[in-house]
Amino acid sequence: MLIRNMFRNLFKNKVQFISIFIMSFLGLFVFVGMDSEVAGFTEAEEAFYNEYGLADIWVRGMKFMPDDIDKVKGLEGVKDAERRASVKGKFLLPDREADMYLTFIESNEISRIGIVEGETYSSGKSGIWIDYVFANKNSLKCGDRVKLKYEGKTFDETVRGTIRHPEYVYFLRDSASMMPDYGFYGMAFLDASEFPLENGTEFNELIIDAEGIDNYVPVNDDEKAVRKSLEAKIREVLENDTLAVLDKDDQLSYQTFRAEMDQHRGMSFMFPVVFMLISVLGIITTMTRLTKRQRIQIGTLKALGLSKSVITMHYVSYGFFLSLAGSVLGALAGYKYIVDLVLTMMADTYLIPNPRGKLTSSGVFVIAASVAVATLVSFLSCRHQLKFPPAETLRPEAPKHMKTSRFEKSALWKGLGFATQWNLRDVRRNKARTGMGIIGVAGSTMLMISAFGCLDSIEFITDWMYGQLNTAGYQIVMKDNTPYEEVYEYAVKYKGQMVENISAVFEAGEIDKNGTVTVIERGSLLHFQDDDFRSEGLTENGIAMSAKMARSLNIWEGDFVRWHLTGDDKWQKDRVVQIYANPGTQGITMFRKVYEQHEYKFMPQMVLTNMESVKDLDDEAVLGVQDTKGLMRSMDEMKKMMYMMMAIFISAAVILGVVVLYNQGILSYVEKIREMATLKVLGFTTGKIRLILQLQNVWITIAGIILGIPLGKLLLYGIMADMPEQMDYRGIIFGPSYLYSAAGTFVLSTLVSAFLSRKVRSVDMVEALKGIE
Amino acid sequence: MSLIELKNISRAYTVGDREFYAIHDINMNLEEGELVVILGPSGAGKSTLLNILGGMDSPTEGEFFFDGRDIARFKDKDLTDYRAWNVGVVFQFYNLIPTLTAYENVALMKDVRANSGKRSVWNKGDVEVMAPENAIAAVGLSERMDHFPSQLSGGEQQRISIARAIAKNPRLLLCDEPTGALDTNTGREVLKLLQDISHKEGRTVVMVTHNSSCAEIADRVIRVKNATVVSDERIESPKDALEVNW
Ligand SMILES: Nc1ncnc2c1ncn2[C@@H]1O[C@H](COP(=O)(O)OP(=O)(O)OP(=O)(O)O)[C@@H](O)[C@H]1O
Ligand SMILES: [Mg+2]
Repeated sequence: MLIRNMFRNLFKNKVQFISIFIMSFLGLFVFVGMDSEVAGFTEAEEAFYNEYGLADIWVRGMKFMPDDIDKVKGLEGVKDAERRASVKGKFLLPDREADMYLTFIESNEISRIGIVEGETYSSGKSGIWIDYVFANKNSLKCGDRVKLKYEGKTFDETVRGTIRHPEYVYFLRDSASMMPDYGFYGMAFLDASEFPLENGTEFNELIIDAEGIDNYVPVNDDEKAVRKSLEAKIREVLENDTLAVLDKDDQLSYQTFRAEMDQHRGMSFMFPVVFMLISVLGIITTMTRLTKRQRIQIGTLKALGLSKSVITMHYVSYGFFLSLAGSVLGALAGYKYIVDLVLTMMADTYLIPNPRGKLTSSGVFVIAASVAVATLVSFLSCRHQLKFPPAETLRPEAPKHMKTSRFEKSALWKGLGFATQWNLRDVRRNKARTGMGIIGVAGSTMLMISAFGCLDSIEFITDWMYGQLNTAGYQIVMKDNTPYEEVYEYAVKYKGQMVENISAVFEAGEIDKNGTVTVIERGSLLHFQDDDFRSEGLTENGIAMSAKMARSLNIWEGDFVRWHLTGDDKWQKDRVVQIYANPGTQGITMFRKVYEQHEYKFMPQMVLTNMESVKDLDDEAVLGVQDTKGLMRSMDEMKKMMYMMMAIFISAAVILGVVVLYNQGILSYVEKIREMATLKVLGFTTGKIRLILQLQNVWITIAGIILGIPLGKLLLYGIMADMPEQMDYRGIIFGPSYLYSAAGTFVLSTLVSAFLSRKVRSVDMVEALKGIE
Repeated sequence: MSLIELKNISRAYTVGDREFYAIHDINMNLEEGELVVILGPSGAGKSTLLNILGGMDSPTEGEFFFDGRDIARFKDKDLTDYRAWNVGVVFQFYNLIPTLTAYENVALMKDVRANSGKRSVWNKGDVEVMAPENAIAAVGLSERMDHFPSQLSGGEQQRISIARAIAKNPRLLLCDEPTGALDTNTGREVLKLLQDISHKEGRTVVMVTHNSSCAEIADRVIRVKNATVVSDERIESPKDALEVNW
């Protein structure tokens, strides 16, 4: 019979119970969706790497000769090695020249080409194998004759096949891009004999299949150790101390995908936690209210001889069954719908074949956790009404005895007016309920603030990067090894500022990091700001370090850093004289003068300028001209993702707000129904009573908003800190966003409260005063 | 041996820093099959006494024997067990579960007994729960079985609550102002039911009231005032419930 009683109670309080159900549902919906996506995508990733034998180690920094391969192959722990030439050329389309990563290979045993369509590769075979997205978007077919250009030399090839490649799961057009836009640029593989330059193939890279490193992700410590020991051996046998010996973690493709998966994993946990929080608040308010209202019923059941444990179980089962049903259904729905949605979205960014969702045991674990929390909270909320003997429970609960505070005796109190006095007393007497209301509103504000903040931050970073730090309209990118004099001519001609970027390793204490050394000529286009966005000039007296790099090396202004350029064996040790903030490249920056004091030669590859005439530049020495507006456009992709995130956050904020405010409102309404009836009998109008009730709501809302703003900032900072290592994104919230969030929360709260206060009119004086259902 | 023996029973409450007795030093024996009315003014301690008899509250001092066992020393679990097997309660405001139909309210007693377990010390193997239909038939409401409490009149609700109380076949039936919320005629019918339960079925019925007319149907009238028993008289020929007037 109690089961029937439960179902009828569920039905009677359907709004609250449905909200509990929905919260459990949503939590698991998102969690299992994301978790299965991550698990399935990772599985597809591993399968892809396995099938095509992704290389374990990459060696760069010299020209590799045939006997170098033999030397490396002879090393213990090396299963196989291949050399190849990786360069960046152009693909000549009818209307434009597309950037193209070209790899010239001798054999295809490590990091094998995955044929999508067409012929397989074999050593010495002529023709080109081109990435399938580029081929599709530009309507290229097998057998087509295509034109390419490298180092000013144009050459023809026949398309042999369209391919994917384990090293090109993710790749960008250039280091200034933020998001991929496949098809606009591409990658291709050719045989080494096709290398277009006269003085032979420039074998600048060696890839290794190593013992003790597998294709399962992520790269573990043992595998790191293998790399370290091989690194020493390779440098020794090739007699070159400055070779860069890299593992998968250093590969943009591998590393970006990993970071993305980590981010999804982080998000997947955040949602059940947020929704569980809402559902906990919902359960507390609903169950407290239910057991309070059913106090006499509980007393009766006890008096009739039902044991405490049976009654407890009865009330606990509400939370238990609802969260169980919600979680399980949510998990199933998440697996069915979210996985495909996210995978479809991701498939445009990460070129991994056959991604499919995969259920993991974490789903079961989170279901169990969610049900356990709901059950425990139900238990705690109804415990109060169950602990007394039936004789006690059968009488109406005595109002809490409250001493009048000193404040209530002061003159100020008397001047407050009845509504304020009444509400202050009510708040004092119901601290838990009030607290819950404030937490709910705060959570709602928090989500809104961080949602708007995400957008603001992207907006800010775009402007920061391309409006404040770099005010050049165009960047002329020179070919590799263009002599200084030639670059200088461009700088003079276009009133430009010359820049050189060199990749480097930085070291402080135990920590070492990869990054970039930026060397600049004096000029007016690059600007610097300190960690608090205050403008400052770049120091003349030494090196300056980017803020994020400094943080990850745990370096402060005045500390020393050791660094060396990739491909150079000399370690440098410098005092960091300045810390500057930059959202993009992380590393150190210095003036040319300082660089030359280190006895390096300044070899700029880039000229920044504001002269529009460079747009059509088509000189021999120029690799390309980038338009800053184009770079800004690539940020729009990022914005699209942020919009989705924002939509999710704001929906969660609305649900949270409505559930908590409605619950706390109806709870206080039930508690106050007698008082309201009394007020009515005493002659207060319905409107006046409504005002009294809404006043409290206004207080709670304001308190919640004040608490929610800093929480929202924290959440935003957390989200931004989660960005990949080479980006230093700052959480920024513009003034209006505070206003929108506060106003949004306020409107939400007022709507809920207006909806609730309609009930005041329906308070039946006689019924309410008689009480006891 | 009497079914119930109360020895120096007191129930003290502390309100603020002061302690006072709701009932003080009460001694009485109740016999099997008796219809006892406890009479007294408001605040005398009647409900408190009834609650103790029903195992819904524990005395702060004294001994309370039921069938030879000292209930006063029982803790929560044993009290539940005691209530489940021995006590039926009828409340002034009926206290039916609003979300259950009349039938289901009575059928709930099966759950109560099942929940309490066969191994209870009170289980002598001779008491079965009545079929809900029979209990409801006994109060003459077979027609109304599927109604929810809100669809029944006060008198009907009280009769269902009596059906619920007797469905357990309890040895002790306790009623706190069972006619308090009813008009004269309906009240009479309810009293008649209680009288029959005592006289025809031989159950001990204890009824609390401040209405002295109700006392006329009793075998025995115990008067309480200011927390103590002031008189305890046996009535040789009680009136039939249907003849009572108030
Ligand atoms: N939980 C309690 N806390 C404090 N005092 C109590 C409590 N329960 C009862 N009392 C007090 O004990 C005394 C006896 O109460 P009881 O309910 O037994 O009276 P009663 O005789 O049933 O009165 P009525 O006819 O009005 O129902 C009263 O003064 C009452 O205020
Ligand atoms: Mg009473």
